[in-house]
Amino acid sequence: MEKLAENKIIEDLLPQKFGKKGQMWVISLLAICALGFYAYCRQLYFGLEVTALRDYVSWGIYISNFVFFVAISLVGSLITAVLRLTNVQWSTPLTRIAEIIAVSAIAFAGLIIIVDMGRPDRFYNLFTHGRLQSPIIWDVIVITTYLVISLLLLYFPLLPDLKIMISFKERNGKWLQKFYELIGSFWKNKPEQFKITNKAINILSITIIPVAFAIHTVTSWLFATTYRPGWDSTNFGAYFISGAFLVGSGAVLIAMYIFRTQYKLEQYITEHHFDKMGKVVVLLALIYLYFNINEFLVPAFKMKKSEEEHLMGLFTGEFSSIFWFAISASMFLPIFILIFKKGRRPKWAFIAGILVVVGSWFKRYLIVTPTLLHPFLPMYDVPKNYLHYFPSWEEWSIAGGSLAGVLLVITFFARIFPIIPIHETIIETDSHEKV
Amino acid sequence: MKKYKYILLLLFTLLLAPNILLAKTDEKNILALTLKYYNDNNISHHLWVNAKSKIDGKFQQIPNISVSFYITNYADKTNLLGKAVTNEKGEAMIVMPPNAKAEWLKSPNQNFIVVANETKQFDAAKTELAITKAKIKIDTINGKVINVNLIALIDSIWKPISGVEVIIGVKRLGGILNVNETQTYTTDSVFGGVTAEFKLDRIPGDKQGNIILIASLVDNETYGNLTAELKVPWGINLVYVSNFDHRSLFARRGYSPIWLELLAYIIVVVVWVIIFYLLLQIKRIKKLGIE
Repeated sequence: MEKLAENKIIEDLLPQKFGKKGQMWVISLLAICALGFYAYCRQLYFGLEVTALRDYVSWGIYISNFVFFVAISLVGSLITAVLRLTNVQWSTPLTRIAEIIAVSAIAFAGLIIIVDMGRPDRFYNLFTHGRLQSPIIWDVIVITTYLVISLLLLYFPLLPDLKIMISFKERNGKWLQKFYELIGSFWKNKPEQFKITNKAINILSITIIPVAFAIHTVTSWLFATTYRPGWDSTNFGAYFISGAFLVGSGAVLIAMYIFRTQYKLEQYITEHHFDKMGKVVVLLALIYLYFNINEFLVPAFKMKKSEEEHLMGLFTGEFSSIFWFAISASMFLPIFILIFKKGRRPKWAFIAGILVVVGSWFKRYLIVTPTLLHPFLPMYDVPKNYLHYFPSWEEWSIAGGSLAGVLLVITFFARIFPIIPIHETIIETDSHEKV
Repeated sequence: MKKYKYILLLLFTLLLAPNILLAKTDEKNILALTLKYYNDNNISHHLWVNAKSKIDGKFQQIPNISVSFYITNYADKTNLLGKAVTNEKGEAMIVMPPNAKAEWLKSPNQNFIVVANETKQFDAAKTELAITKAKIKIDTINGKVINVNLIALIDSIWKPISGVEVIIGVKRLGGILNVNETQTYTTDSVFGGVTAEFKLDRIPGDKQGNIILIASLVDNETYGNLTAELKVPWGINLVYVSNFDHRSLFARRGYSPIWLELLAYIIVVVVWVIIFYLLLQIKRIKKLGIE
């Protein structure tokens, strides 16, 4: 990174007001959220009948979305914790981006589970009547824990930045100033405060790794503890975690590009960062590809009768177009793009990130739905619409609304707080100068 | 003119030929009925019918066929035993009603007839069955030896029947478990009887150790299907121990294994203690800031 004066760093990294593009972006997201909310009101009023969920496919795109959100949230632990603990210096400007993606995604993962419930008013029953043996209960516990830890991991490094922001009273405006003071006026840059904060961040970095692994392993167990074709696998925990790191990293690539171009952060999120993140994505895509080969090749080799219909549905049947698109978009194409140095330039990396995220969403859909359409007992004497699944407009709207909600949280966060840690950037610049 | 006549005739024939050749025949499929007689433990009698038809080159069981069962060879109302509809396996049955007793007692031999009504797919069909009335007796002798006799009504007298194969076993899960390595026994010429040694020493019975011995004649052309049962205390007392209240991974709520509870609570407590410790650190940072 070039030598940058402290004041310039602050000026560059302070949150910026929305421009016209930003306003349009927020209005679009709010409109999608409003449509999703309307669709959810209809679902509450008429019941799950308005969805395409029936006896066989009882987990549709809601649960696909849930798995997708949980997966994407894992990037917080990868960038913030794993790279921090391994002293990877280049990840500093990306930590907050990763953390806010984690917080918003995991919050909406919790919400989408409630959306999937026909009777959300009975949600408390999970706590009062839940079975400790059930992975659903473990998921509820782990998601809550991960959300709290991610919030703390977002908050502690933010404290020194809050002091900087409080000093720009006129720029902030009345309400934001009050908010900053409420959450950070006590920060005085004292060495003891830094000591405690650094210790807390280290503790959080260590704690979040097993919790992050637990959250996605438990999510995989929601499927793997069920004896069904496609889910009956001992590979599922590792398969899910590797996929989660990949989709999260893809999301970071997208966010990096958008923040870099829209907030003019070219000096902070440099081509070097894209190069490094690109390599990380290639590695993760290869690992995920390895687990996919395990997941499909081994049952396909044995081709047990119950698995055959499911696998053939994916390879050449009803779901083959989505399957090969998901595999190509989330793994083959990103590897092909990012393996070349030119492909790790911002624009190409951004395209690769989009491919990873979109492909991964469809991959989650394929994990959930085709298995439900292939039960062990034949589907006999049931209405025709039970035999196929295509989400209703209410489901698409709610799923779209939740995706827009995640983006809205990230957008508002970037409007209120610096998306790149100011204090850490100043410290790192100083240490670079000294070196 | 004559030439044109022939051409017109040829054209007419050519136009009609495909219609004639490809015309769908309105012939219905042939329905085949199989009728069987059962004497259940010398207590009740039932008749069973199976409806099948050769469709697309292979036999298929035909459901939803309405069938009427008659005693004697005459399919009239006075001889009607009952009506039934074939299930998805093409099977239907009726238990012989008490009002058929008078007809049943008339002769040592008995005829039955079953008639299937005509449907859109099938013509009406019927089949007949003639049996000689017979029964099996089952008893035990000298400890764990089973004695079975087959007798039939011949000239109004119950006489032993020789040379017929019977199965002797224990009634188990809807089937018959052989009492030793012999699959079937052939009745002798003296008493129409056979003996079988019971070798299933460790077979579970009910709470009192009772098992049900069964002697059976299967699909015999003359006598039909006959069974006789006998309850004997030769099994092991089976005390059912419910594991409903045992702690296991698949048990109901509140019955999770202790190790799981310990592990789960320890993990939750450790993680949340760390979280609370970190929340306290925020308080400490706040205090330092105010000082």
